[in-house]
Amino acid sequence: MRILVILRRVLDPAGLVAHARLRRLFINREEYLIEPGDHAALEAALRIKDGGGAEVVVVSGQPEPDDDTLRRGLAMGADRAIYLSGAGFADADDGVAAEVLKATVERLGGADLVLVGMTRLDTGQAQLGPRLAGALGWPQIVGAWSVEIADGRIRAVRRDGDDYVIVETDLPAVVTVPAKALEPRYPDGARLINVYRGEGGMAEAVLQWDVADLMDPEGLVPLLEGRGRDFPPERERGVRVEGSIEEAAQAVAEALRGRRPG
Amino acid sequence: MDFTFSREAKALRRMVRAFVEKEVAPIAAEIDREHRVPLGVMRKLGKTGLLGVCFPQEYGGMGAGEVGYCILMEELGRVCTSTATNVGAHIGIGAMAIHVDGTEEQKLRYLAPLARGEQFAAFGLTESNAGSDAANISTRAVRDGDEWVVNGGKVYITNGGYADVVTLIAVTDPALGARGGVTAFIVESDWPGFEVAREEDKMGIRGTSTAELVFDDLRVPHENVLGKVGEGFVTFMKALDMGRLTLGAACLGGAQAALDWSVAWARTREQFGTQLAQKQSIQWMIADLATEVEALRSLVYRVAWMVDTGQPFTELAAMCKLYGSEVASRAVDMAVQIHGGLGYSRDYPIERAFRDARIAEIFEGTNEIQRIVIASRIFREHGVRISP
Amino acid sequence: MDASYLDLVMAQQEETFKDAEGGGGVWVVAESAGGEIAPVTLEAVGVARTLAESLGAYVYAALLGDGVRLLAETLYQAGVDGVRVADHPGLSPFGLEPHLGILVDLFEAEGPEIVLFGATEMGRALAPRLAQRMGGGLIERGTRVSLDPSSRTVEAAVPMYGGEYFEVLACPEARPQVLTIEPGTFARPFMDRYRKGEPTMLDVEPGEPAVRVLGPAEGFRPPEVGLSEASVVVAVGRQAGDRARVERLAEMLGGRVAGDRGAWDAGLVEADQVVDVRGVRVSPEVYLAVGIRGDTFHDAAMADSAFVVAIHADPDAPIFEKADLCVTAEPGEVVRALLTALG
Repeated sequence: MRILVILRRVLDPAGLVAHARLRRLFINREEYLIEPGDHAALEAALRIKDGGGAEVVVVSGQPEPDDDTLRRGLAMGADRAIYLSGAGFADADDGVAAEVLKATVERLGGADLVLVGMTRLDTGQAQLGPRLAGALGWPQIVGAWSVEIADGRIRAVRRDGDDYVIVETDLPAVVTVPAKALEPRYPDGARLINVYRGEGGMAEAVLQWDVADLMDPEGLVPLLEGRGRDFPPERERGVRVEGSIEEAAQAVAEALRGRRPG
Repeated sequence: MDFTFSREAKALRRMVRAFVEKEVAPIAAEIDREHRVPLGVMRKLGKTGLLGVCFPQEYGGMGAGEVGYCILMEELGRVCTSTATNVGAHIGIGAMAIHVDGTEEQKLRYLAPLARGEQFAAFGLTESNAGSDAANISTRAVRDGDEWVVNGGKVYITNGGYADVVTLIAVTDPALGARGGVTAFIVESDWPGFEVAREEDKMGIRGTSTAELVFDDLRVPHENVLGKVGEGFVTFMKALDMGRLTLGAACLGGAQAALDWSVAWARTREQFGTQLAQKQSIQWMIADLATEVEALRSLVYRVAWMVDTGQPFTELAAMCKLYGSEVASRAVDMAVQIHGGLGYSRDYPIERAFRDARIAEIFEGTNEIQRIVIASRIFREHGVRISP
Repeated sequence: MDASYLDLVMAQQEETFKDAEGGGGVWVVAESAGGEIAPVTLEAVGVARTLAESLGAYVYAALLGDGVRLLAETLYQAGVDGVRVADHPGLSPFGLEPHLGILVDLFEAEGPEIVLFGATEMGRALAPRLAQRMGGGLIERGTRVSLDPSSRTVEAAVPMYGGEYFEVLACPEARPQVLTIEPGTFARPFMDRYRKGEPTMLDVEPGEPAVRVLGPAEGFRPPEVGLSEASVVVAVGRQAGDRARVERLAEMLGGRVAGDRGAWDAGLVEADQVVDVRGVRVSPEVYLAVGIRGDTFHDAAMADSAFVVAIHADPDAPIFEKADLCVTAEPGEVVRALLTALG
């Protein structure tokens, strides 16, 4: 059984300061994390591998020097890593990425399961997994809190409003995993060292593919474009609420509306 | 000269930091309060392979060298001196002795399970009459056929209460003394005649086991002689050298943490209308400590690099331990002062760091001994021999 | 003029909107829950109306479900010009393939410029598939939406890292432009209860969903979210008043109960719920300080909160210097009123 896990990297928010008054973004410390949802997805894949008989392939398309994301994936226990490089892919939006990943699956000779994080930490977009499912023509499970394979089918626990339900579909399928679903394991120490030194078979485990070999560069035109940055208004502290208790409560309720995470 | 950490080192640090923040930080206060060893954490560390960080992969280790080991100790020292001490005694002296002078068979038999964290190690040198004067030990090992019979005892043995394997040193020929009359042995704690007599109730590092061991006709097979008969001190000094460097790394972590906590508090706490950070007296304390921490960092990692590249390093390792322990003590003292009353409260980690730091100037060779080692090497280059 | 006469006048002026002719337009894919149109759908209609006005276009809604026909009325009241309804037992509960198939057929015929979804479970599953199938661009979770009229392109501000800052994104070429909006971000439009319309019923044969729901996940417990990771914290001090009410408030807000050291001493919270440098540090989106006076140790431990509301009877309580919104009143009373206002 072959499981493909997509690993994206995101800038560590602890190194960022968004200065509301100066309306500028300061990157004090440029460090990258594996996208937490993807990290959980990799853990899900490795747990299936623990059960026996699965090959886990991680794929990433981040610009140099960060084949680090892939190395971390290998150190955790992935069998192979595919580094997608080439002009145009580094800035790809999810629409383009989905097409490239579809071509990657085909070039790999197919896969039984694709796992990826549900919602990106940085942009909050959750569209990559479903877009890829659409491109591949495979069923999708969005937001799987746990994943199990049996008899060519996949079972997952998914939220349904305030409850959790078990869903099932046939493989191959695309499954997206919330960041908090699983605690990713620590990398194996010796494997980590070997990955960085290219020893113990780890050098052969990394493949580098040029996106231009996978598909026509025409197809790499992004659908979205950035039109600038916006900053939340500067915090105004000490705003006193006037009026009766009921009016005060209304004002608070109003202020809380939209601040409460869904 | 390239002073940057390699990508491998950075990746290792990231992994260790993630582990320490998730597994060690939450229990640090608890193990101090309850005076217990974090065995669960030690086992988890073992599973990641970190308890064999500097040992070769063919013996179950990670092969990350001394730089890797210093990174582990620094990151542990930042959060929990007790855990760092458990780990340091296990890797840096207990298992290390087998790494430096063990036979192939001894390494496969003992080092590998220790590197994999399947077993734990301790280092048995100190006795009640032999602290700094290590040569004054009196534990006796007498040859009997193909075994040695050991009688005596050791005190202040870190990890002694739970170690599976202890590398210990005993007198095998009283007439020869330290040169030729002392032998190192690998013993297993479940052998008859090996007893853990009592645990020390300590000021700090209360998350460690500091035990008194008693040997009562403990029979050790001859194949467990470590190194050559009569040359036990050579083996032990080699192990201690390595241990000193990494203790310096743990002190670096502790000093850095004290600095970070102090800076954070200085930013937060306001008195007389401004933050503490705006007051020169505080700024100077911070600046002085930051300078010392940088100097210590450069020293520790340079010496680690020298070890990894096969260069001599004995007096430099002693400097790491000497300077590291003193910087750490100054750091925690400053941290208590900056935090004021909060620094004295048991509800806040600063007072624990203060109690924990003090031992570093004493164990693994007191700072007085370190000074003698350093001075001795310096003068020897000029043809002068110093006797302690 | 009394109210009943006004009603009469208004009734005479009722316009029944003949369903606007198709083609282009700003569409909302409606969701229903508990026999009503979901609030996020109404919010989306509000956004759609603003966009449609700038575009000079109509607002349409696609309403899919089982027994949902009558809900079209609510959509007309919210300002939708034309509602297309697919009412079929195979459309409830939500299944991706059945919904997707119908929407694709509908949109291939209608050619929308813009399609809006709520960023809900359904929206997360359906919007990207629709965009992918139709070659459109998708911007999820937009919080501020405006139109670039020259290119008829929507510009949406997407919160980064949970709202640290916003990236403004647009889909200049690909059509349709698909957007999802988070529930509670936009205001509901004015509901005109005299506005009526006749929905167009679609004749559909929904496909089978590829994913089967087997049943409730018995015994499944999601991983615990510690206090330090909670996104809403309701913290009590000694003066907080009725503890049970505070619990209910926390539940309503989807948050965790905590307290200051004084509350712990008074036995109102456990040791692991104490927000203090000597206890737990929190960094929630919302921190509600109920009856907490405030001091360095408490304040430093919640300093990273994104939005702080403080309620205390003493107008000089130090907590007010750290709060965004300050209510000087009896905390217990405010909590009671807040439960009503939110509920």
